[in-house]
Amino acid sequence: MSAAGRAVTRRLTAASISALQAALAAEQAAAYGYGVVGSHLSGTQAESATADWVTHQAAADKLDGLLAAGGASGTPAGVAYQLPGAVHTAAQATALAATLEDQVTSAYLGLVARGSRDLRMLGAQEARAAALRAARWRGTTVAFPGLPAGGR
Amino acid sequence: MSADPTRRVVLAASAALPLLVAGCRGTQALGRPPQPSAAVRHLRAAIAAEQSMVARYQRVLALLADDRAAAGSGPPARATLTGLLAEHQDHLRALRSRLIPGSPQAAGSGSLPSPSVTEVPAAPRPAISYLGRAEQAASDRLLSQVLLVPPSLAQLFASISASEATHVPVLAAAGVTL
Repeated sequence: MSAAGRAVTRRLTAASISALQAALAAEQAAAYGYGVVGSHLSGTQAESATADWVTHQAAADKLDGLLAAGGASGTPAGVAYQLPGAVHTAAQATALAATLEDQVTSAYLGLVARGSRDLRMLGAQEARAAALRAARWRGTTVAFPGLPAGGR
Repeated sequence: MSADPTRRVVLAASAALPLLVAGCRGTQALGRPPQPSAAVRHLRAAIAAEQSMVARYQRVLALLADDRAAAGSGPPARATLTGLLAEHQDHLRALRSRLIPGSPQAAGSGSLPSPSVTEVPAAPRPAISYLGRAEQAASDRLLSQVLLVPPSLAQLFASISASEATHVPVLAAAGVTL
């Protein structure tokens, strides 16, 4: 514990802002991507995609709010995003969903490493939630969600 | 677009930790190592927890092998558990690599705490449920420690916590197939 005690400033550090912006960008990209994902799925998979889309929209709004409360402003979402690959089939759609969640996981781990104390727990919780969605879409698990291959 | 800077952050943060660990003895450490001895203590506890998970999986896998011989339960659950065990072994390796071998911090007050594994249920289905509960508890525990360790170690804890959480639904599904 810092002996100086907590200097509770409402302003965000530069590192927190950039980590929050990266998480926001990942959430916005995911929200866009799930629109594409959902259009190629049906039944319970389409319902899952819709639920996840709503989750990412809400998360983006929350991050935007955190940035605003800290005296920064969130970068607006792009009109369109380049997808990592063509999506024509249900299998490609679920693969895209998993990839989107990987990127979200990674961005939130950035918040764990660079955010201020109060943002680190948020980052860890959201990284876990995104990893759960990634594993659900992919049907397999990995040892180090959100970290580069090898995990260290 | 956003993947690049994020990846850099992840890598930079991972690279920074050995310095923190190496520097935690003296006050002339680079930067400001946050509570090094507490961090090392939490790291050692995390290593012990992973060792316990590995031991639990090994016991349940042995149980399933015996049970298959006795009652003919199929191999899918064993294959699933073997895959999850491999991820825990990866966790263990990554956590151990954060301790500097031979350093006073690595040695601590002695060897690493020995893994504690309570009795594993004797029947396959309860044993797999038991693993699921252990995974959830381990995931929650690591998550709760994110604020107690330096940021780069926190990142590893958060990733492992996420991995362990993803094992829970996999185990639930494996239990159903038995």
